[in-house]
Amino acid sequence: MCWRAVCSPVLSLTGYRGGFWGAGGIPGKRLKRKGRAFLSSGDSTGCGVGGLRRPPEATGLRYVASNKRATLINMSLENPFQDPLRFERRVPECAMVIFGANGDLTKRKLLPALYRLAYERRLDAGFAVLGISRTPLTDDQFREKMLASVKEFLEDSPFDDEVWNAFAQGIFYMAGDFDNAALYPALDARLKEIGAARHTGGNVLFYCSAQPSQYIPIAQGIAAANVGKGSGWRRIVIEKPFGHDLASAQKLSAELHSAFAEAEVYRIDHYLGKETVQNILALRFGNGIFEPLWNRRYVNHVQITAAESIGVEGRGSYYQEAGALRDMIQNHLSQVMATIAMEPSATFRPDAVRDERSKLLRSIRVMKPDEVLQNTVSGQYGPAHIGGQDVPGFRQETGVKPDTQTDTYAAVTFFVDNWRWAGVPFYVRSGKRLPKRVTEIAIQFNAAPLAIFNGDETTTAPNLLILRIQPEEGISLKFLSKRPGAGMKLRPVSMDFNYGSSFGERSPSAYETLLLDAIIGDATLYTRQDMVEASWTVVDAIQHVWDDTKFDFPNYAAGAWGPKAADDMLARRGHVWRQP
Amino acid sequence: MGAAGGTIAPDRILHDMADLWASLGKQGEGDAGVLRACSMTLVVAAEESDDAQAIGETLAALMPEHPSRAIVIRFHHGEQRELAARVFSQCWMPFGHRQQICCEQIEITASDASLPDLAPVVLPLTVPDLPVILWCRGARLFHLPAFAQLAAIAQKVVLDSAAFSDPAAALREMSEAAAAGRLLADLSWTRLTRWRELIAQIFENRAQLANLPLVSDILISHRAAAPPATAYYLAAWLVDGLAQVGAHARVQFQSDGGEPVWRLSRVELRAQGRPEAIASIALAEGAAAEVRTGGLINKALLPALTDYALMREELSIPGADPAFAHALAAAAKLALS
Repeated sequence: MCWRAVCSPVLSLTGYRGGFWGAGGIPGKRLKRKGRAFLSSGDSTGCGVGGLRRPPEATGLRYVASNKRATLINMSLENPFQDPLRFERRVPECAMVIFGANGDLTKRKLLPALYRLAYERRLDAGFAVLGISRTPLTDDQFREKMLASVKEFLEDSPFDDEVWNAFAQGIFYMAGDFDNAALYPALDARLKEIGAARHTGGNVLFYCSAQPSQYIPIAQGIAAANVGKGSGWRRIVIEKPFGHDLASAQKLSAELHSAFAEAEVYRIDHYLGKETVQNILALRFGNGIFEPLWNRRYVNHVQITAAESIGVEGRGSYYQEAGALRDMIQNHLSQVMATIAMEPSATFRPDAVRDERSKLLRSIRVMKPDEVLQNTVSGQYGPAHIGGQDVPGFRQETGVKPDTQTDTYAAVTFFVDNWRWAGVPFYVRSGKRLPKRVTEIAIQFNAAPLAIFNGDETTTAPNLLILRIQPEEGISLKFLSKRPGAGMKLRPVSMDFNYGSSFGERSPSAYETLLLDAIIGDATLYTRQDMVEASWTVVDAIQHVWDDTKFDFPNYAAGAWGPKAADDMLARRGHVWRQP
Repeated sequence: MGAAGGTIAPDRILHDMADLWASLGKQGEGDAGVLRACSMTLVVAAEESDDAQAIGETLAALMPEHPSRAIVIRFHHGEQRELAARVFSQCWMPFGHRQQICCEQIEITASDASLPDLAPVVLPLTVPDLPVILWCRGARLFHLPAFAQLAAIAQKVVLDSAAFSDPAAALREMSEAAAAGRLLADLSWTRLTRWRELIAQIFENRAQLANLPLVSDILISHRAAAPPATAYYLAAWLVDGLAQVGAHARVQFQSDGGEPVWRLSRVELRAQGRPEAIASIALAEGAAAEVRTGGLINKALLPALTDYALMREELSIPGADPAFAHALAAAAKLALS
């Protein structure tokens, strides 16, 4: 550290005109010099008298703008008080800008998650939220609205007035139209003002909680006003859908890249934030006993199920444009499948893990048109009478066309063309109005090669490893055991690990995990452009055939486990769906 | 199940435990049965006068997160060698489940004189291949001559220096034991985690971190007349951290009275010539602490910690804790200086 011996730790700059070093420490960015700086003290290593000889990053220094001057901060100085054995993760200072601050996601998920992080003392004291939406509101009015939302939607957590009051001091609001170019210079000015008051170090996390159609105008506005660059780091989080096909996903990425480097784009997939999805990595790569079995030699097939018992719940018009294949399989379930099937990464660094996920997604066989209808099933629920109530079919839902061909159920047989998984079917299904809400992965192992015990079919039941993602996160291993008593009768037994009850701790919500990751700069659980494009490549091949096919919908009743064709698809390979 | 003649046989206890599991299995509904869970052996050494119900409740609360075979040894004064034991289980049923999860518990009553006999009894009762943690709940027990034999079974010994009458002497003794190779934990250090975490979080902010080398004074206010072990630990840890960034700070302790005596009430990091503290944390009434830094005031909840909360944290670190080891050595020096 150059200054420890000879420089002051905080050095004032004179002649500063603002925006001195534009890149804010982002690797690979070209530094832009707009003025001259003179230091009040220095040494021969670059913090020298008479001007700065090296860019701040080269000396481990960085400028943090405050009202009318910049403060030079030693970036190589390490916080000596960290204790990784006991403390949670290190969280840097930052401001978070929420586009769509009046929307449902902000109210139901983002603010409750941020409040909970504040309650858990996970956020910097100066952490700030700047909400933006069209509705004119004052800061105080927005705080009131957010207070009501947090109280309503906070789950498994007490509410504390004092913590809220301190947290709310960092909540700000500005009204604006995302299509209006004037919004973004105003946003930049507001961020500088907030940054100076709350010491956010110029670090900004943008969060697109707006309609997907507004992602591109937001990216364009940020790029045009150069708000994507600043004295600290800048990142943007976007929610799915990441396009509606490969071409639109590529266009969206291109627009985002006009303002942000790919490493600064965080495509959120809340499934990856779930504890059990993360636990898949721990199970596979933290233990020595599973990985040797994790291949085509021992695994017979894999079933991934994401079932919802509810219908479209008033989102009929949106869902009509998406469908189960696009809404679930292209993103959530393909990411889950990649986590299950990927190769071990050399390290647990974000890009190392994401490289392996991406490689796996690129190894999924892209179906030829004539293979699609043999290996996929599209379904749509019809009306039914469940629990004494009439349940409408999808076509009877509000906002849905009476002859819509949208899939509310999708089942796909995927194959992964690599040495580990060649020939192993991955059955993936997702649907609405199925009998229960459950998401799980079932890995069925090959049966014992020889049945030496007499008995019924249960004596040859294959081993199953079940990873439950929701509602009760946990892991079960099913195996055979001798029934007590005379004779050699076997019965299947289950060894259960329940995530909640085994650790007794409150699991953080997926949004708490993912927001903290984005603030910290850990993109492990976020989706990268190449991953999105790989999964769209697979899904587009199916969707194109489906678009050209007239299905005889509805083909399953609400409350059933999908169309019969889905059972037939597995039966062709001698398999049956598990009933979770 | 008491043992006759004032002695106990480990084999007999293990047999009783097997019977216990068999009976628990029979009680299970249908095929649900019970699930046995164990991640360590937790040996609790307590005085007979220690509240048995409170210990039981603490262990029951710990079990879901740290399922263990708990061996509770209750000592009473006595020159006759007397040992007795019984086994039972701690079970709970997670919400929404039909299956009970159970942990086994062994309770041994022993006279002080029988302490040398205990290690050979406890050793075979520990669960193979899993860590053994000894939680010593009294200063007197720690000072019993034969305590070292019992401690030798454990990978880690958890003490509470707040239970010692002289904090400085407690730190010295613990430091000596640690220097001799004993892996220790001190609940007084555990009580500091939230304070330390708040301080660490303040200096994650680069603007605040830049001020750290300017710190010249550390002020620690405590309730007791003399600084408790927590105050020494905090001071030692801060001094060490500041030294890493080139700051050599003076420590000032200040008593402001009140209860509980081991509790801290305020910590401030000051720079010479600056009227405002660079950072301060002050415990207000109730559970809220006021955190001031860089002109910002924040609130953090620091409710009083129960034995359960402290042990829950300590049991999650069954191995060495380098930060504590370092702080213990430094705190002992500071207390004796």
